[in-house]
Amino acid sequence: MKWSYEHYRGASATLLQEKTQAIDIVSDGTVKFSFKEPFLEFPILMGTANVCGAGWVVPAKYYQKVGKDGFVQKPIGAGPYKLVAQDTGNKIEYEAFEGYYRPVHVKNFTIVSVPEAATRVAMVERGEADIAYGIPGELIERIKGNAKLMLAPVLSGSWWLEFPGFNDPKNPFNDKRVREAVSLTVDRKAINDAESGGMGRVSGNWINDDVEYVIDWPKWETNIPKAKELMKQAGFPDGFKVDWLTVVPNFFSRGERVISQLKAIGIQTRLQTMERGVYLKRMETGLKEWPGVQIIMNATRMGGSWSNWYEGMFKCGGFQSKDMICVKALDDKFAKYATSFDRAERNKLAEEIQKEILEQYYFVPVFRHAFLNVIGPRLKAAKWEDVFPTHLTSGYAYPWEDLQLKDTA
Amino acid sequence: MARFIIRRTLYALVTLLILSLTIFMVIRLTGDPVTLLAEPGAHAEDLDRIRAEWGLDRSWPVQYLTFAKNVFTGDLGKSFNYDMPVSTLYFQRLPNSLELALAATLISFLIGIPAGLISAVKVNSVWDNTGKVIALFGLAVPGFWLGLVMILVFSVWLGWLPTSGQGSWQHLIMPAVALGWYFAASLLRLTRSSMLEVLRSEYIKLARLKGLPGYVVIAVHAFKNALIPVLTLAGVNLVVMINAAVIIEVIFAWPGIGRLLYEGIFQRDFPLVQGVVMEAGIMIVVINLTIDILYAYIDPRIRLTR
Repeated sequence: MKWSYEHYRGASATLLQEKTQAIDIVSDGTVKFSFKEPFLEFPILMGTANVCGAGWVVPAKYYQKVGKDGFVQKPIGAGPYKLVAQDTGNKIEYEAFEGYYRPVHVKNFTIVSVPEAATRVAMVERGEADIAYGIPGELIERIKGNAKLMLAPVLSGSWWLEFPGFNDPKNPFNDKRVREAVSLTVDRKAINDAESGGMGRVSGNWINDDVEYVIDWPKWETNIPKAKELMKQAGFPDGFKVDWLTVVPNFFSRGERVISQLKAIGIQTRLQTMERGVYLKRMETGLKEWPGVQIIMNATRMGGSWSNWYEGMFKCGGFQSKDMICVKALDDKFAKYATSFDRAERNKLAEEIQKEILEQYYFVPVFRHAFLNVIGPRLKAAKWEDVFPTHLTSGYAYPWEDLQLKDTA
Repeated sequence: MARFIIRRTLYALVTLLILSLTIFMVIRLTGDPVTLLAEPGAHAEDLDRIRAEWGLDRSWPVQYLTFAKNVFTGDLGKSFNYDMPVSTLYFQRLPNSLELALAATLISFLIGIPAGLISAVKVNSVWDNTGKVIALFGLAVPGFWLGLVMILVFSVWLGWLPTSGQGSWQHLIMPAVALGWYFAASLLRLTRSSMLEVLRSEYIKLARLKGLPGYVVIAVHAFKNALIPVLTLAGVNLVVMINAAVIIEVIFAWPGIGRLLYEGIFQRDFPLVQGVVMEAGIMIVVINLTIDILYAYIDPRIRLTR
């Protein structure tokens, strides 16, 4: 573990190195980390793989023996399965590791990469595969129509609307009433029904409820007359034109739904489609890539703490916020939060910041979508949660050793 | 002849230079790979470190010169996504693409050439019209649609064939038909027009006047000559099928070069996309150069007029 930590080069590596004073091996089962100052994020960073990979333990002796390329070709670890063969980018074959400390039910396990969703579903329908991930909304009915298949809707990332450059007084979204009117116009239930077969969640906060210091927020209402009244008060009785509404690729259909709903209060806009890499590049560049009046339908799923969300998506200079959403008062509070070692104070600041974002409609939460998967008839499962017991933190079937086939059960 | 070969080789090198510049520029215009390589919560310093690690912090001219120098020495770089040499990935996938392309070529021959031949011999008949309809459908029906329909019918409903992947000969049937049908249609059209042209020529009239049986005139005299442009097209088609069967390989999860390219584009894997395109470009340029030289060798008029 000491070696893995010292050689870690992924996200937050610089932060970890700067804060760490020493790592001492106390015994075979104990490692002691010493820091230059209190480091409250440390446990979350170490324990949240999609935020920071420093917690992954790599076998040092083996890695040093085979080198980086050798390890990529034939990695070893301490899990329930050992790698038998891999066809890079296509297939990985595993075999149960008999010495594992828990029983491993499925002896041979293969992961196949199949880019086309319809083909993945066909594989499960035909019994060539037992689980398929990432099923788009248009295939829901096909799965529901087959009694042998089971749909596994895992609650995943949150979606929200944001208004780049709203700080500019000339931008119509500068007026809180306009942002509130947008929120009152969005029919979140209709979007959830259409996009996730109703299996997502219409929640209040734009931050997932499975992270530290997140606050609970009531569901938003849809009220077109009230929205129209607010638009009238803001000086836009007939609405206005928005240059583009851009949605995270390739979820374009949900962007179209928002565009169609916004027409009710006279906001006219068009959908801007772009490739994922282009979208990320533009988000990373900032406001100059989003001239005029724009709406972005953004989304993410991050683990750990609410602060990862704020820092990446809202804070001035953040990974995807850059100079698009700069609220100095909140950033100052966040700076105080980041340097505070008092848990009560941190909790209070986290609450205040989140409340302000929601009350001011800086972000307009839409829904939490469902990451849809399908389970085939061979797997032993009374309900989909039996195959996805860790669904609160992972969209994938895990732990693998708990999966059981009906024949071998 | 030597001057001709030198001139054509220089043209080929210029073509590859332009191709390398184009793919280098185009892939960089599409987005930043670093945002895809980093975790969602990555900080600015993490992005800078990844950028430096992969040499993306250097200017474009410096990056291009390194890329060009490496290509010249046979090194296509290392894939961002797979962390493996691009040439290793390419040659791992090449046999799979070759297998699919050869099967599709065979299918395109079996459908396209006999149908084209019959269409030409029985011109303006029911046979000819049927051939035209086949050609029209082959060119008009998108491969991805045909592929998905075949999976639904032959795998899900009838249960005759596996849906996707590679393994037995059964795995090869649907992707080969879906890929080969389009090329069968183009071969059918070319065979038909080439045969019609040959059948109108003087030496065919002479063969008929000599009293040779119809099948001998068609099979020995006409078909042999009509086949030259058809085989040239089939050669080019084969190279295209090896390197660019992207949609079919994606639909059928066939682990070939097309799918490798698809994954490279989606992951902004610059070295992978550049490498695959350069390999394909070199293959096409070398084949064309060889054909040009062979034509010039066989027909001296070519090397004198060009």
